[in-house]
Amino acid sequence: MLHGYGGHILRVDLSSGQIRREKTDPAYMLDVIGGRGLNSTRLYEELKRDIDPLSPQNLLLIGVGPLTGTLMAASAFMTISGKSPLTGILGDSAAGGHFGAEMKQAGYDQLVMTGCCEKPGYLFIADDHVEIRDASHLWGQDIWQTTAAIRRELNDNAVQVAAIGPAGENLVKYATVACNNSRMCGRTGMGCLFGSKNLKAVAVRGRGRLTVADPPGFLELCRELDQRIMVHPEYEKRNALGSTLLMKALNGIGILPTRHFQQGLCDYVDKVSGETLAQKYKVKNKSCFNCNLHCSRYYLTREVEAEGPEFETLCSYTSRIGSDNLEFGLKMNAFLNRMGLDSLSSGETIGWAMECIQQGLLTQDDFDGLDLTWGNCRAVEKLLNMIIRREGIGAAFAEGTRSLARHFGQGSEEYAFHVKGLDMICGDPRGIKAFGLTYAIASRGGDHLRAEPFFELTERYDEAEKRWGIREIADRLADRGKAVLVEHTERQALLTDCLTMCKNIGLSMDIMDFEFASQLLQAGTGLNFTPDKIDAALKGVINRDRKMNIDFGVTADQDTLPKRFTSEPLQEGASKGQVVPVKRMVAEYYKIKGWDKDGVPGD
Amino acid sequence: MITLDLSKCSGCSRCEVNCSFFHSGKIGRSGSRIKVVKIEDIGIDYPVVCQQCRERYCTKCPEKAVEVGALGQVIISPTLCTACGTCEVMCPIGAIELFEEIPHVCDLCGGDPRCVRACTLDAISFEPDLTEAVSLKEFKKGSRGRDPEQKRLRYVESGAEQLRQRWLAERRG
Repeated sequence: MLHGYGGHILRVDLSSGQIRREKTDPAYMLDVIGGRGLNSTRLYEELKRDIDPLSPQNLLLIGVGPLTGTLMAASAFMTISGKSPLTGILGDSAAGGHFGAEMKQAGYDQLVMTGCCEKPGYLFIADDHVEIRDASHLWGQDIWQTTAAIRRELNDNAVQVAAIGPAGENLVKYATVACNNSRMCGRTGMGCLFGSKNLKAVAVRGRGRLTVADPPGFLELCRELDQRIMVHPEYEKRNALGSTLLMKALNGIGILPTRHFQQGLCDYVDKVSGETLAQKYKVKNKSCFNCNLHCSRYYLTREVEAEGPEFETLCSYTSRIGSDNLEFGLKMNAFLNRMGLDSLSSGETIGWAMECIQQGLLTQDDFDGLDLTWGNCRAVEKLLNMIIRREGIGAAFAEGTRSLARHFGQGSEEYAFHVKGLDMICGDPRGIKAFGLTYAIASRGGDHLRAEPFFELTERYDEAEKRWGIREIADRLADRGKAVLVEHTERQALLTDCLTMCKNIGLSMDIMDFEFASQLLQAGTGLNFTPDKIDAALKGVINRDRKMNIDFGVTADQDTLPKRFTSEPLQEGASKGQVVPVKRMVAEYYKIKGWDKDGVPGD
Repeated sequence: MITLDLSKCSGCSRCEVNCSFFHSGKIGRSGSRIKVVKIEDIGIDYPVVCQQCRERYCTKCPEKAVEVGALGQVIISPTLCTACGTCEVMCPIGAIELFEEIPHVCDLCGGDPRCVRACTLDAISFEPDLTEAVSLKEFKKGSRGRDPEQKRLRYVESGAEQLRQRWLAERRG
């Protein structure tokens, strides 16, 4: 008997309605672990590379970790993968909430969806029962309405729903999928992929129970994990503010994106900080399944109420677009969550447009008369509505910043801050060099989560010396040794993704390592997950991801950063004078990986 | 009895997970005797568990398999119980539910409730001296014909109202 795992892979062909349940193969899982590792490998093995991401041939995968839904804290995520409609390369995005645990308790480690529903539908899974149900009446409804309507019509409030909103239906390239209303699979356009398959939602109800191989041993390890989280020096702050603590923290080190990365210092940060949010609007903590950090928050403003926001959304809709209006940011969080639109990518398109106007490259007339000046919330809201419905200029915005800037040309490409088509996150890499390298090499494009080299922010010099023999790794401004750090934390990040564990806890709080994961996996699954075996599995996935991306057309010259970050030094604050020497860092990274100078893996 | 401070509950379900694991060595909502109801639209997370109600509806068991223990907890005799489901039907708030032919209801873990231990937000407490303090009469009416999940939702919707009013007063004046 397979412990920990749900035990089945569910294959659904949305075109023919054919449904097949396969048993999860333990030997296979030893090589891929689960979650993102499982999804990536499935794509590597089964995805035809040269397809249009919006075609029925694209795969749509939902993978969950081997210990998700068990006693192991903070491992509630699910990962959605496929060829990205936004970037055309490997796409995946993970979210917490309660969907992943429910899917496991229903008996599934992965859903593999192919084809396309003939008319709008949603997939309903209740343990062994699987059906594609009509969703015509849900088409056009937002994510919150859809979630509530599905629970109502199934007469079961405990059903977990992962749904898209109008943005996904209208094939906005950076549309999201959400569970529990506000837990977003935000990046790389997985909501667009749902939409292209006429798939409004996946609803799941699991009445089964998960077993573990060694219950007393597993219980002990889970208690230790609980303890590691509870005694962490940042526990109180993270519990109170979640990731919004980064507004002030990043401003403090001069890397808070302000006016589209023109500044790393925001003089009104106190008006839009996580602290102010908590003080004025928060009413209680929220949490993903079986987490003891409870870092999410529920808030009420005069106009809206919702869960969140995370830092990336808060920053994207305040300082990054030059707005000091916190209530507006909170309103947009609720709005984007309802509509199913990625806050980072949408925020970048808006920031790009505002900067293009400021620089005199484009004018109001280029944007259907919208007055896109810094912090003009009214214009932003109007534009978002146009993007979601693909109206007027909104249709060009709906393609993502890379495509948008190509559409306008006239030098505006220089201000499109993306890597490989994925819009950059909120964190100016000039003052965090390992993050800069991460954005450049990340297998899904301009994003930090592929390595989350948070260690460089900790100033733990002795620990850096001990772990890697390079003290500068603990210095965020140094570039020396950062390729070593990124190569290491890239595996650690993948490990947390394979466990579908939360990165804030696993990585930023430095709680999960190979040894501990090995113990948890062995006690949980009973399979021989030695640290070496785990490491080999991770390295295998990373190399396969790279090879797949090369098949998709990724070349070494795309492993870079937008020009601003490599050649325009920051002008003020604690990272003044800094740029990212990205070329040198990427070359060093290839060398450590054993890839050739073109970034191609050997075997 | 188990008491709640609803304003502190984040909906993490650690109570559920630990309850299920303690009682069966397995993990799943079905195996838990406390079940968190979530209404995301209004930010409510509400663990529903036996309230040791004054009325003791569940004791109207045709097999006389249901007793009340010294701590006020419901005790179901595994030898007398025929899994007829009367107790599940009788409970107005869905705090008893059959799973694999066994009525699942809070037994207070012998006086050391694991849900209380598992909650790191102090949303759940154990008050051993408090029992039969709550009346569920108002929920009894209209509970017939609803399954446990539906009864829990109905109970929560009404119980959450006070907290909602507090939030609205605090944040919107």
